[in-house]
Amino acid sequence: MTIQDPHAIPTPGADVVVATRTPNRSRRSSLAMFRNPGIAFGTAITLIWLVIMITVHWWAPYDPYESVGSRLQSPNGQHWFGTDALGRDVFTRVLYGSRQSLPIAVLVIASALLIGGTLGALAGYFGKFADTAVMRLADVTMAFPPILLAMAVAAALGPGLRNGFFAMVIVWWPIYARLLRAQVMAVKQREHIEAAVTVGATRGRILRRHVLPLSFTGVMVNATMDLGQVVLLTASLSFLGLGAVPPAPEWGAMITEGAKNFYQWWIAVAPGLAIATVVLGFNFLGDGLRDVLDVRSAQR
Amino acid sequence: MRSSFMGSSTGRASGRGLVAALATVALIAASCGSDDDSSGGTTVVGDSSNTTAGVDSTPASAGGTDVRELVVARDMDVNSLDPARAYCDTCQIYLTAVYETLITVDPSDLSQQIPRLATSWEANDDNTVFTFALADATFADGSPVEAKDVKWSWERLSNVKASASYLMDGYSSIETPDEKTVVVTFEAPNSAFLPIVSAPYMGVSNSDEAIAQASALADETAETDDSAEPFFLENSLGSGPYQLESYTEGDALVLVRNDNYWNGTPQFPMVTIKQVKDSASQLQQLQAGDVDIAMQISLDSLSQIEGDPNLNVSTTDSYNFVYIAVSPGAQGPGGAELQDPMVREAIKLAVDYTGILDVTVAGNGKLQASPIPNGFDGSADLALPAQDLDKATALMAEAGLTDGFTLDAMYPKVNVYGVDFDVMMQKVQQDLKKINIEVNLQPVEFPQWIDAINAEGIPLTAVYFAPDHTDSSQYPGYFGMIDGSPWSVRAGGGAAGAPIVNEKEAPLLSKALASSGAAKTAAYTELGQEMINDLIFFPLVNPQLVLASQADVTGNLYSGCCNLDLSFVGIG
Repeated sequence: MTIQDPHAIPTPGADVVVATRTPNRSRRSSLAMFRNPGIAFGTAITLIWLVIMITVHWWAPYDPYESVGSRLQSPNGQHWFGTDALGRDVFTRVLYGSRQSLPIAVLVIASALLIGGTLGALAGYFGKFADTAVMRLADVTMAFPPILLAMAVAAALGPGLRNGFFAMVIVWWPIYARLLRAQVMAVKQREHIEAAVTVGATRGRILRRHVLPLSFTGVMVNATMDLGQVVLLTASLSFLGLGAVPPAPEWGAMITEGAKNFYQWWIAVAPGLAIATVVLGFNFLGDGLRDVLDVRSAQR
Repeated sequence: MRSSFMGSSTGRASGRGLVAALATVALIAASCGSDDDSSGGTTVVGDSSNTTAGVDSTPASAGGTDVRELVVARDMDVNSLDPARAYCDTCQIYLTAVYETLITVDPSDLSQQIPRLATSWEANDDNTVFTFALADATFADGSPVEAKDVKWSWERLSNVKASASYLMDGYSSIETPDEKTVVVTFEAPNSAFLPIVSAPYMGVSNSDEAIAQASALADETAETDDSAEPFFLENSLGSGPYQLESYTEGDALVLVRNDNYWNGTPQFPMVTIKQVKDSASQLQQLQAGDVDIAMQISLDSLSQIEGDPNLNVSTTDSYNFVYIAVSPGAQGPGGAELQDPMVREAIKLAVDYTGILDVTVAGNGKLQASPIPNGFDGSADLALPAQDLDKATALMAEAGLTDGFTLDAMYPKVNVYGVDFDVMMQKVQQDLKKINIEVNLQPVEFPQWIDAINAEGIPLTAVYFAPDHTDSSQYPGYFGMIDGSPWSVRAGGGAAGAPIVNEKEAPLLSKALASSGAAKTAAYTELGQEMINDLIFFPLVNPQLVLASQADVTGNLYSGCCNLDLSFVGIG
């Protein structure tokens, strides 16, 4: 029941049966999706953080690296989230923290998608040896708890966000390899693919033109949710001293400083709130996207 | 020279475990200068009774019946419990409680030695021959403490060639004319030896039992063939008020009362040093009454417990200090520029010393002039460092570096004596930016740091130091640009470079070791000035210590030789 008359199913979820989309319909449904409160909320938070990330240097109250007042001030009119052990403005540092976490989250997911997705698609489409090789490698990688694997890699490479990036790509690629493999294998069975084969299209063309576009919906939903997870893992690595190096205003590193100054709660709470909102935003967005795109029914 | 082993650190256990297992840190000991003029000698005769009279709450006799057990919270840094190999702050506490030294330091007066296993001691006129008379003491198994045990213990310390072995450097013989007399002879005058004898690492073990039970070796073969270390992790063979019950790394070090203690009845049936990593947890456990003493409460959280009627809280001056060091011979970025003394002086003048004191220990500490800490011989008359940005900028211009340069700063990721290195180094980074020096901070785990600094030096680093004993000789021996000293090698670029030597320092150290009184103080003052002139070390913080305990705990004192001497602790 994959390919049907879209009008037969009026719900916003099911009408995005990807194979039948026309450009016109697509635009309409993408606007409609903001009626989903999850998406609206998630998009709003994500957009706010994106705007902060891009524009913060124009309007942030202080320099995130400079000591601007006496140290360990509790939140007040001048310093909304207080000051840290060096007298830097915590509010400013939290805002600038978005410049550390968000780009790396996007980069990690993009890289993992590129590497893992390519390997997974090849494995799913060609099967046999390629499938076995890629999937066993993925299994081995996924056998380690993500945080432990990331820590091991980051510790081996040395601290720094760049090494943290490599560590996280290593953690994430198998997820996308698996996901794309499953999607490709499902799509591969469909009639229009068989039709393409019969017509004589090459395997590369079929994979590119017919299989991948159909497989991507589910992956996008997953990627959106994973952005939040990467933000969290970045912060975890920095919290453990394996990510950002001082004096970078990275949220996880700031929480470490807060843990050292246990009684100055604001130092840890402020970046904690930032992480919470960002992760929440991405999760709502991902959840909403899943509902709207109705990945399951699209595959059925 | 504790700076070369783990201090209490906030390094994350998980991360540390992954980077490397705790590295064994071999330290080049300071080779003390030698010979020449011998003037002035000291003769010290202690109290001839067998007690440690003169100190309040001596091995506090509890009348035999039990008060409660003592629980001490501490972030432990134990590298070994073998008396010849242990070398750490926690080791000082352990060794002092379990293995007694011949003499010890009066906690209230650094310069006064008081009797412990020795009843009297004397040095000849030129400080080359030291004679000790032993008390009628017994080991925990009841056998007498004899001169041969002292000789064996000290020879073993010297021959295992571990971190503390340098304490015995320069001796030519240890003789035992009778069972109760020990005579140590040095090749060159060594006015530091009596303070050294009071260092916990100089404790005496039961040699017969060590040989019988652990096959411990004390002769020249000890360095390679001695394998007694595991035995000492489970057993102790000392004469002190407490004995080792058990040690579990990362958990607890448990001591039990030595029921055969020769010098009174130790206060507590059991003493547990409990591993509690951070200051906040230590403070909470102290407030909850779970521990009797918390040893590493941070100065920032002091306000949380001050005025609590259930607790006894005070701060005291310490002899610990934290410093940054620049290495002109280091390979990394900035090493080449540091070869110009003007650049090093500019760095010295750019640092905001009072600001650093404020951000690291909330102002609860002192500035320090040279690597000889406040309170030690030779520290009093030197000028304290101060910030002078104009002069620093002028010096940079004169050196042709107005636009500055990049300086690599790798440092151990630790939190010692209340000073968080991350915070301190970020402040240094801010300060040096004002003279256009871009500091590239690289916090690393301790083993990685020690590898780097010994292999090729580190352009700018941060380190800490707590005294091993109460004589100033350890400072020029470690920090001096004296041939063979650890820092002369590190400053010159480690094994890959060439040591830096200041020709004036070795003769000055020999002179100090051969003199006493005012002449000795003058020699150390001069040495301190020379070390300032080297422009290698910039001491930043001489922090105060927080002494925090339950209100009824007495004798929780900081000791210059021994950190915390458990035999003074009681319940009042």
